[in-house]
Formats: sequence, structure tokens, C-alpha cells
Amino acid sequence: MSTTAPAEADTGDLILALDAGGTMTDAILVKPDGTFTVGKSISRKEDQQKSYRDSVADAAQSIGLSSEDVHKRLAADVYCGTGMLNTILTGDGRKVGLLVTRGFEDLTVMEGGLSYLGQSQAESLHQQLHKHTRPLVEPKNVLGVSERIGGGCYLGEIHLPAGHVLIPLNEEQVKVGTKKLLDEGCEVIGILFLYSFVDPRHEHQAKAIAEKIIEDKGLEIPVVCSADVAPVAKENSRLKSLLFQCFAAEQVRASLLNVEKAARELGFDGRLLTLLSYGGAVNMDYTRLYETMISGPVGGLIGAQFLGNVLDLDNIVTADMGGTSFDVGLIIDKRIGIAKSADIAGHRLALPMVELDSAGQGAGSVVWVDEYKRLHVGPESAGAAVGICLNYDRLTVTDINVALGYVDPDYFLGGQVKLNKEIALKALKETVADPLGLDVYEAGAGLLQIINTEMNDLLRTMIASKGYDTHDFTMLYYGGAGPVHMYGFAEGIEFKDVITIPWAAGFSAFGAACAEYMHRYDRGTRALIPNQSSDEHLAKIAKDIHTTWREMEHEASTQMKAEGIDPDTLTFRYGVSARYMGQIESFNTALENGVMDGPNDIQTMIAAFETMYSKVYPEGAKFGSAGYSLTDIHLEAIADKPQPKLLRHDLSSSEANASAFVEKRDVYHKDGWISFDVWEMGELKAGNTVKGPSIIRDPMTTVVIPPNKEMYIDEYLILHYS
Amino acid sequence: MATIEKEVLNQPNLKAITAPTLAEAVEKRDRLTESTGNYYGVKELSLKKADPIRYERFYSKLHSAVLAARESARYVAASPGSREMGECLWGVTTAEGDTLALSLGFLSHTAIFPTAVRYMAANNYDVNDGIEDGDVYGVSDGLTGGVPHPGDFYSFVPIVIEGEVVAWAVGINHLMENGAPVAGSWATFSVDTFMDGLVVPPMRTGRKLQQESWWKAIWERRTRAATMNILDDKMRLAGCAMIHEATHKLIDEFGIDYYKTAIREVIEESRRRVLDNMKSTMVPGTYTGAAFRMAQYKGLQTIWSHADKNTLIHIRASVEPNENGLKIDTEGTSRWGHHAYNATPGASDAAVFLGMINSFSHNTKVTAGIELAVQRHYPKGSILNPDNEFTSNANPWAQTVTLNNIGFGAVSRAMFSFGYLEEAFCVDGNWGAWQGQGTAEDGTAYGFTNFEWLGGSSRGAWCFKDGEPLVWAAWSQMATIGDAEEFESTVPPMFYLGRKLLPGYFGAGKYRGGPGESAVHWCVEPGQHIGITRPNGGLSSTTSVALGMNGAYPGPSSFMISARGTNLDEVNAKGLAPRDAREMLEMTDSGLLKVDDLKVWKTDCPELSMEHNDLFVDAAGSSGGWGDPLDRDPMAVIEDLDSGTCPDYDFVNEMHGVVASKNTLGNWVLDTAATEVKRIALRQGRLDESVDVKDWWTKEREIVQNAAFFPEVGLMYNESLSFDKFRDEFTSFWNLPHEFNVLEG
Repeated sequence: MSTTAPAEADTGDLILALDAGGTMTDAILVKPDGTFTVGKSISRKEDQQKSYRDSVADAAQSIGLSSEDVHKRLAADVYCGTGMLNTILTGDGRKVGLLVTRGFEDLTVMEGGLSYLGQSQAESLHQQLHKHTRPLVEPKNVLGVSERIGGGCYLGEIHLPAGHVLIPLNEEQVKVGTKKLLDEGCEVIGILFLYSFVDPRHEHQAKAIAEKIIEDKGLEIPVVCSADVAPVAKENSRLKSLLFQCFAAEQVRASLLNVEKAARELGFDGRLLTLLSYGGAVNMDYTRLYETMISGPVGGLIGAQFLGNVLDLDNIVTADMGGTSFDVGLIIDKRIGIAKSADIAGHRLALPMVELDSAGQGAGSVVWVDEYKRLHVGPESAGAAVGICLNYDRLTVTDINVALGYVDPDYFLGGQVKLNKEIALKALKETVADPLGLDVYEAGAGLLQIINTEMNDLLRTMIASKGYDTHDFTMLYYGGAGPVHMYGFAEGIEFKDVITIPWAAGFSAFGAACAEYMHRYDRGTRALIPNQSSDEHLAKIAKDIHTTWREMEHEASTQMKAEGIDPDTLTFRYGVSARYMGQIESFNTALENGVMDGPNDIQTMIAAFETMYSKVYPEGAKFGSAGYSLTDIHLEAIADKPQPKLLRHDLSSSEANASAFVEKRDVYHKDGWISFDVWEMGELKAGNTVKGPSIIRDPMTTVVIPPNKEMYIDEYLILHYS
Repeated sequence: MATIEKEVLNQPNLKAITAPTLAEAVEKRDRLTESTGNYYGVKELSLKKADPIRYERFYSKLHSAVLAARESARYVAASPGSREMGECLWGVTTAEGDTLALSLGFLSHTAIFPTAVRYMAANNYDVNDGIEDGDVYGVSDGLTGGVPHPGDFYSFVPIVIEGEVVAWAVGINHLMENGAPVAGSWATFSVDTFMDGLVVPPMRTGRKLQQESWWKAIWERRTRAATMNILDDKMRLAGCAMIHEATHKLIDEFGIDYYKTAIREVIEESRRRVLDNMKSTMVPGTYTGAAFRMAQYKGLQTIWSHADKNTLIHIRASVEPNENGLKIDTEGTSRWGHHAYNATPGASDAAVFLGMINSFSHNTKVTAGIELAVQRHYPKGSILNPDNEFTSNANPWAQTVTLNNIGFGAVSRAMFSFGYLEEAFCVDGNWGAWQGQGTAEDGTAYGFTNFEWLGGSSRGAWCFKDGEPLVWAAWSQMATIGDAEEFESTVPPMFYLGRKLLPGYFGAGKYRGGPGESAVHWCVEPGQHIGITRPNGGLSSTTSVALGMNGAYPGPSSFMISARGTNLDEVNAKGLAPRDAREMLEMTDSGLLKVDDLKVWKTDCPELSMEHNDLFVDAAGSSGGWGDPLDRDPMAVIEDLDSGTCPDYDFVNEMHGVVASKNTLGNWVLDTAATEVKRIALRQGRLDESVDVKDWWTKEREIVQNAAFFPEVGLMYNESLSFDKFRDEFTSFWNLPHEFNVLEG
């Protein structure tokens, strides 16, 4: 199949994308004809240059090229890493000083009381387990400055308007505070004032004063305003965004530039890109680099969006099962869903982030039975040690798949790694079967059914909690273990289609290659639209939105030009966050275009909001008679970037060539032994249909097709399960 | 019977006669449970045994339905409490109201679900005029619905299969305003239920998962925050609709017979697990506790003369492990009164189960199983179970939280005794909130509640380390105070000048409690009027229950300060506005802040009209310490001085016997030798002050015998002595005649 096709010399540009995960660094090298190859290396947090070089070399070698050859021909090089997260988790960031609104000096210690983030319901119920996350700034380096700006009230302009200055900025306190923070050795200064998302003037005024003091001292210390990093409501989340940027972003920028240096040394003459948590690619000069916090999982969703565009799929639910987790995401109307806030490593950020639900259960997750004979899976994971069948001391999900015959112990990573089936079987018996009084194979099959059911429920919940119907969705499975379990994950849920891809293991890296070059701009607002609003009022709001979008377009053009993009090539997407008056949560509302000329355009915007809301909630939850409120105006600026292509293949007959058949293998499937046909992925052709019971093996993954099911390979080599 | 069948056939709304009525279902549930000791008579977990995987899958689906309901529906909300904090909950129950699964949120409401269902059963709601699939019922009445106070509102949606109610979807949240004479969520100064605001016994308000049109008018005409309340109502219904749909699908998939058997087994399974947990963590014995709360009405209730008196509320409870779980006996608790703090058994349950769920259900399915394992005794006539059906239940949390503290604290002591040191800490539930109403300059009227200090509090000291600030909420698993930027937008003329930890605001000990919080609210251009009250759930200035453990001090109570007529413009011009309660008092003492009318409120305040530049300052959320303060590591004291956590040197010098001085850099330096000397002196001082127990007892007995008490104390004793158990204990301890009574006044 495509992954083994040789590269033709002098055929044009290549696209390279890497996903540096916790265990492996995957590389996808996309060739000019749209085909691609996958490379892998062990992730080395301490030497990302080496992981990068090794993974690219592995991919290049499989198509007969050197790393230098590849880099000289690269049109785009995308790198997703975990550096930012590691900096936060290890606390190894910059020394931060903060200036905050007087009276809010304890914000970083109080954290709004959010001391249970990331805990399961069972954990958070036992409140002895609640604890604060380690602060990213020393409390003594958080100083108050007298100032106050009002944010307006939810009932509209019955009182002072949003942006009203209640207490002017006390410039002397800014000066004293800045000097004190510099004396303390702070390496970066952040500023957070209440309601700066409505009116940033005090923050900017304080920044100018602080920068002057820093300049006078001959220092180079950045001053960062919350209104520039995350101009959205809720001071606790905005603070965390500011801290992430101050604490981690700059040094991560340094390590990413180091990887970029390796790429340049190998002959690449462009800029290394990385992914934003809401789905675009930016280069390492991007100001708000903290927004690249979860670039890896984002890659998978971008890949899904890319597939959706190629195959014309409006709605996709994605399931990524790797070694340690199971991540579920949604593509709605060909767009990636964006959440308003993100919980990362015990912090809640005001960071727009792709909507992902995760369970700590992957192929490497530990399986165990407690004293009450209850079965548990995870959250501990064997990671690269795979399971007891390789190099771990506890039973894992992969062990069960090996013990029951789904995974060939002699063909793991194409046979490079040999697994021990007997040890897996013995562990399954001792750990699960004997304590529960079950036959060892029954126990294994039952466990897989529980795992599959839990993942199945997570899928249902992810879709149902948003109010969507599974019949409107195509289900896409990827990750190394996704195709192994897809038969079970999909059981009992009726999707429009269920698909996977031959390169499932490297799909997140593939998605990174598909990312568009995009910046997102958000501007907080407090525009109220009561029912019976006059045309004059609506016209004023329309004008404000129009002005904001034009300013954002200008800002995008300026910033992206500085990043080497021709502003004339930019395209824009427009949206607002809206709600019924009185609500405190706003809903992202995408708009067709950036036209906002008058009252009619406001009515069109309200109609778009109502349509979106109706998709999420029952009719009884609508409340149009309350009027509407806008809280955020946003814009996405997109630049051209080379994209991979999916090649269209001629369709062969439905029957696979004999050369694709490998063997027959007995598998304990659900409640008994069944003989499965085993096929080689690389030998299958477009148009083939593989009927169950079958297994399609590949060095990177295993696709399980149970009895009475089949897998059709379409013209793009996408596998359709039915 | 023939006559009834005929009537049923002639009335389409009436349920099919073949299905059991709700009353029959409840009777069967009780008969089977009481006769066997097992829930619904389930002795064998047959489904779990036969096919544990299918059984777990069944429950997983049920549980995920309620989790999903909350995660989606809460975004419809208007109030920060529901959207940001843990002040909402969804659940699914059996036909009889027994909880099967719960979402995240304030889970102790689970114990209340059966009350409304049983009321509807007893009053034949399903017979006349019928309960249909997707109907919507609203409840906010304590007596008939068990609701802790009318500020909490419940929505019930029945799930009906072939004419039989098989489950209920339930949604709850805390309203921002509920239409009482005293505006806000807690109608302080209510005299009876008719002053409690919108009190609704179980009542059908909608059909087919939609509210009926008139229901919107109720919110608009009977509350002061209609928009918020309507959106919260829609939020509850949206979640219930999701659970309703998911439960129907579950029954379609598994079959009604499997469903009916499985739900009984799920509850019985969790009951057994809870029992195991109790047995493995509770040292046998009787754990007693007492708490007090002042209701200061004297002089404020001149219209309602029968309520014009002060009351010292006595909450008394004992916790005793037994073979069926735990018994909580509250005999000796004060009688009900003409004030806002009366509870009902439902409200009392809501408090008791806060700590019980945390301690015994966290590692199993959270179901009605926990309720079966806790036997409760709330004596009839007491403040926890009034024998008058018209008592006010506007603000029972203000005293029932102490009931939880006694229970939770008992478990903590038991865990300590057992050696589970990492589980044992000083339990408290010191909360605060403020509320009110206003009229803007343009005539727009509004109501509000700011319950940020209900969202989280500090945790008391552990037996091996200090407590932490703002880390938990005894009543909810989701401690969150929300954002100032959200709360400020709900009260037009009030602006934050501070929202922070309050220095020195914790119980001292070898390990100190976590510091509590304080906020300063500034009135700017109030329009025609703004009035503020504070329900002061912080349990007044009297001792709550976190007495401090093993020789430590309790957490100080919550309080508030009103400062009217200030020179705030001058202070603001200097950039020195007060940031918390401590700074506020220091600035007024120093004369920097001039105040015409300064009041420190340690009990509920009547409505305070605020003018431009007036200040309203509150403090809540402190907690108690653990161990003798003289055993505190002196360097920990120095760290508290340097960090400002406890900045008062004179205080720590006397409390901890630590002697220190400031160096040229302004940092505190310990004088080890002088500290040793000081501590020896303080210990000797204790010995010098101590008296023989016999002498102490004799002297105190004279006071008791002569009833030389404040009137409120005398009245309190009289009420408690009207219960036999307390009378026995009291007269026995003081060696008084059994018929002894304290004369009022």
C-alpha cells in the first residue's frame, strides 16, 4: 500500500510532520503524489534533536532517501511536542513576577478553589484527596496595584457601562512593584487586572511603565498582559493562561527553535511549525505560544477534518487509542469543536482548545481485580514496556489481546519485537480468571468486552452530551490500538459509517501534516441585544463587530507578515460567542462571512445562534424572549500551506489477491474459539472486501474483523467497517 | 374494585389499573427491605453473579447518562453557582425515589429524593390525575419534598413504561433569588413558612418534557430574578430530558425485567460495600458532639411579637457504629421556633449525608445504599423534625451544617483512632453569603445572591500537617468559588475591592487550620435603592463544631462588617482601599479610613441600605487546628509571620510562645532560647490557672442549679431538657433531680 511505495527522485516537495509523544516520536513523510511513509524513534525529552533526527531518518530510509535528501525537498515541517506540558509538570520554568488588581494578591494560591481538576468522580468525592496544584509563581512575587475598571452588569446598561474607570491606575504602585519584582530576580513580569478583557487600557498603561523601568535598568525582561494573552472573561482562568505563557512558553520556544536548528542543519530552509490547541499551525515566533500546549492530540483531529474534506463527511467522531489513553473528539459540520476552557495538569486555562474527552485506558493500561472482585483497567500504563508479554510486571490490555490470539506475538512492529504469549496467558489466569472463578479465555474475553463497553459509553456520552445523534456521524478509529478494538467500540451504536486507515498508528502525525497555518483572535465584549431593540441599537452593535473584525484582520495581517506570510493570501473565518441574556456560559457561533453592516446582519447572527443552540439542547431550553448577549468576537486567519493529498486508486475486484493471505489463526472471540483469516495490509488493494472473521496485520497495527462483519477498502485506501 | 376500573376507563389521564400504584410500590419496597434487612429483599446479587460484565455494563450506561446530563445541561444556567460551582446535581432513581446514580455536584441531596416521591405516592398523584411519561414536577417544600430550603429547587421527570412509573430523572440547583420578603436565597427573619418565598409542594408544571406556559409567569411574578430562575429551570429540565431518553434506551436494550432486578441489586450491592467501609474504619463506641447557633430576633420582629426573641440553638448528636451501619441520634437538640432555621427530616438528611458519602461511598456506586446504612433519629418536635407543619425552613443550613460536622468529625476521629492518619483532619463547614434586592436609577428592579464563600472553604488541620486554604466544600465535591468577574456582573452597584485570604483567620494549633477568605464590596452609585442582608451561614459567633482537635483552637466564625458613610474617595486616591476584613478594621482604627457608621455583625444582619462609597466586608471559610499550639514548630510560626499568613507577632508570641525579632531586611528571626523559656512559662501559667475537677464541678453545678444563665442559655436548656435522653445525661452529670428544669429568664 502507499506506505511502502518508493519516492521518485526530483518529483517536487515533501511534507514532514512529527508527533513527539511520551513514548515514541512518530514521523510522517508525505510524498508529492500524496502517499506517505511512517518513521519511529524513542522519544528523548532531554534531547529532542536526536529523537527528531532518528525518526526522520527512519521514515526517509524506508523510501530510499537520506535525512538530508528529505530536508532539502521539504515544503513544510511540522513538529508537535510535549515540551510545554513537561515544563509545567516539572516546574522548571521561568521565575515569574505578577502585578494584579489590588486586593487580588492571593489569586494564585486560591485558584478559585479548583483543587480537584483531573480527578475522577470517585476521587473528587473523597475530599481528602483535593489539593492545590503547585503554584507557578511564588506568592511573595504577586503584588497588588490600585486600579479598577467595571465590566457592566448582566441586566444591561441600567448601571455604569462596561469599561467604566472606577479607580484610575496608580502609576506609582506600578513603578514600586516593578522594581521590587526585578530586585527579586523575576525573569518575566505578567499583568492581570479585573475586566481587562473588556478594556485593556490599565494593563497596557502598566506594561508601558514597567517596560520603561526595565529599559532604564538595561534589562531584557518581557512584560506580558493578560488581555494580550487571553482576552476573555473569568480572572482565574485568564490568570492561568498568563502564567503558562510567562512560565513556560519562552523556554519551550527555545527548545523548539533547537529542533528547528536540527532541521536546518539537515538542509531545511523553511520555518518549523507547531500546532495550536485549537487546531492551526504556527511557527516558533508566534506570540501566544502557550496555546500549543496539547499539540499532539490536536493532530489527530486535524487529520480527521482533512479526511472529512476529502471524503465529504460533515460529522466525524474520532477515537484514538494509543498506549496510555483513549481520546474521543468531534468534527461537526467539517469543523473541529472548540471548548472555551481547558483543564491541563491541574490548571484551568482560558484557552480555546479542541474538545476532547479522555479516559486513562490504552493498550498498555494495567488490568486488575480488587478485593471486592471488581474489574479495573488503568490508569497505570506500561508505556513502551507494552505488557507482561514483553517487559512489564503487570497484566495489560495488550497482554489479553495476545493471549486470546488477536495480536500475533511474532509480528509486533513487523516482527522486530517478539512477545511472549504464554506469560500473558499465565498472568491473565492468575490475575483475573482465578480470582473471579472463570475460565482463562472467558475471563480475557469478558475483560475485553468491559473495556470495549466503557469506551463505547465514552463515545456515546461524548456525542449525547452535546445533543447529537450518532446516525449523523462517521466513526473514525486510529492510534496503534484503535483498529484492534474498533469492532467492540462500535458495537451497538449505529453510525453513518465506521472507518479506519492503514496508517492508524501514525495518524496524529499525519494530521499535523494536514494542519492549516492559522491564527485565532478573540476579543471579549459585553454587547446586549434585548428583544425589541431599536434598529439604531442593532446598527451600533453591528458597527462594533464590524470594526473589531477589521482590527483583527489587520492584526493578523501584521503578525503573519512578520512570520513570513504574504497577507494577500490570507483568508478569514468569523464567529461570535453568544448567549441568552442572563446565561453565564456563551456558545461558539460560526458565521458564514464577515459582513456586519446593519440590523439585518445582527438578525442573521441571532438566527445562527438559535440554530446552533437547537442542535445542543431540547426545545424547552431555548429562551429567546430573554434577549441575547455577545461576550466574544473572534476571527481565524488562515494562510496557504502545502497539504498532503490522498491518492485515488483504481478499484480492483472485491476479492483480495492470494498474495495478501497470510494464514489462518485461532482466536478466542467473545464466547469461543474461531478461526480467523489473516491478511497482510500492504498487499490489499483498493476495491477489496475482507470478510470476517479476519485479521488484517500491519507492522504498526492490527485490524480485527469479527464474524458477519466485513471491511471494504475504498479508492483512497480507507477501510470501511460494516 | 369494579367501580374504580370504570372510573379509570372514563378518565384517560388515570393510570392503567394493571400496573402497581406508586403507593403499592413504596409499600412493597418497605416491606421487603424491613422484613429481610436487605434492600428490596435482595439476598443474592444474582445478575452480578451470573454475568458480572453485563451487570457492570448496565450500570456504566446508567451512570454515564447522569454524568452527561450535568456536563451538558449546566451550560444553560444563569447562576454562577450552577455553571461554575458544584451547586447543581442530577440523578436517576427507582420508582420509589431511591437513588441509582448521581452526577457530580452536591451529592447529599440524594437522601431527599424519596421524600417527594413518597408524598406523591401517599397522595395518589398517579391515580388522580395520573403521572405520564415525560411529565415535569417542581418541588421546593421542605415538609412534602424534603428540600433543605426553598432556595434549592428540584425538578422530577417520571419515566413511565406501560403505565408504570419505573424511574425518575431528578435535577436540582440553588436559586439566586426565591421571592421571600427578605430577598435572596435564604429568607432570614422568616417567622413561618408563609415568609419563605416560593414554596412549592410536588406539583406538575409541564408535560412531554416541556414546561407549561403558566410556569414562566410564576418565576416572573413570584421571584425577583426571573431571568436567572427561568434559565436555571430550563437547565434542570434539559438534564432530566437527557436522563429520561437515556433510561428509556437502556430499558429497551436490557429489557424491563433485567432493569427491575438490576436496580435492586445495584442498591443492595452498594449498601453492603458501605457497611464494609464503616466496619473497617470506625472504632466501636459513641461519638458525641454539640454545636450552637444564635438567632438574634429580639427587637427586630415587633410586628410578629411571638417571634420577637433571641434563641440559642443547640444541635446535639451522637454517632454510634452498629451491625447495620451507623446510628445518628440527635435527641437533645433544641425545639423548633418562630425563626428561619428550622429543618425538616429531609433537610437534616441533606446535612448528615455530606460527610457520610465522602467517607463511605466514594469507592462504590453512589446510590441509596448509603441511606440504608445510616439510621437517623430526629426527635419529633425538635428543630430537625418540627411538630408544626407551618414552621419556616428558610435557612436550616445555618444550623444543620453543624450536624454534618458532628458526623463527619466523628468519622475523622474514628479514622484517627484506627490509624488512618492521612484521612483524619479537623472538619468544619464555615460558609458565608450575601444577598438582597435593588432598584436601578431607571426603575429596573432586581434580586441577587453572591454565594462565593459557599463555594469553598479552607480545610482544618490534619494530624500531621497544616490545613490548606480554599480546598474543599463540606457540602459539595466540587469546591469552586467562581470568578469575581462573574459575580460582580450579577449585582449592578457593588464592586470588588478585594477577594483574598484573611491573615490570621484560622484555628491555631500544633498544626493550624487553613486560612479563611474575605472580600470587600464597594457600593458605587446605588440607583434608587440597594439593600443587602447576610444569612451568615458561618454559624454566628458561637462555637460551631470544629473545636480544634487534640488541644487546638477552633476555626473563628464567619462575620461581616458594614461601613457606611466613608471617605473612600480619599483612600482610593492614595491607592490604599481596604482589601479584607482585617485591613478594614486596622484602617478605621488608624483613622486612615473614616466611617460614620461601622458595625461588625456576628449574627444575621437585617437589611442594610447601602449608599455611594459604603462598604460591605465579609469573611468566612476558616477552619480549626490540631494539637497543642505550644508544640508548633517555631520555624513554622516564623514562616507564617514572614508570609503574612499570621502577621501579628504579639498574638503568636502568646499563642505559640515563640520569641522572634525582625532583622535589617525585615525578616523575622527566631530566638530559640527565649522561645524555650517563654513556652515553659506559658505551660506553668496553665498549671497555675487550673483547678481541681471536683472544685470546678462543684462551682459550675451551683450555676446550673441556680439557673444563673443568660436568658437565651436558660431557654436552650429548657428545650433540650424536654427530651428524655438529654435530661438523663444532664441531670445525671450534674447530680440534679430528674425533674430539674431551668427557669426561663
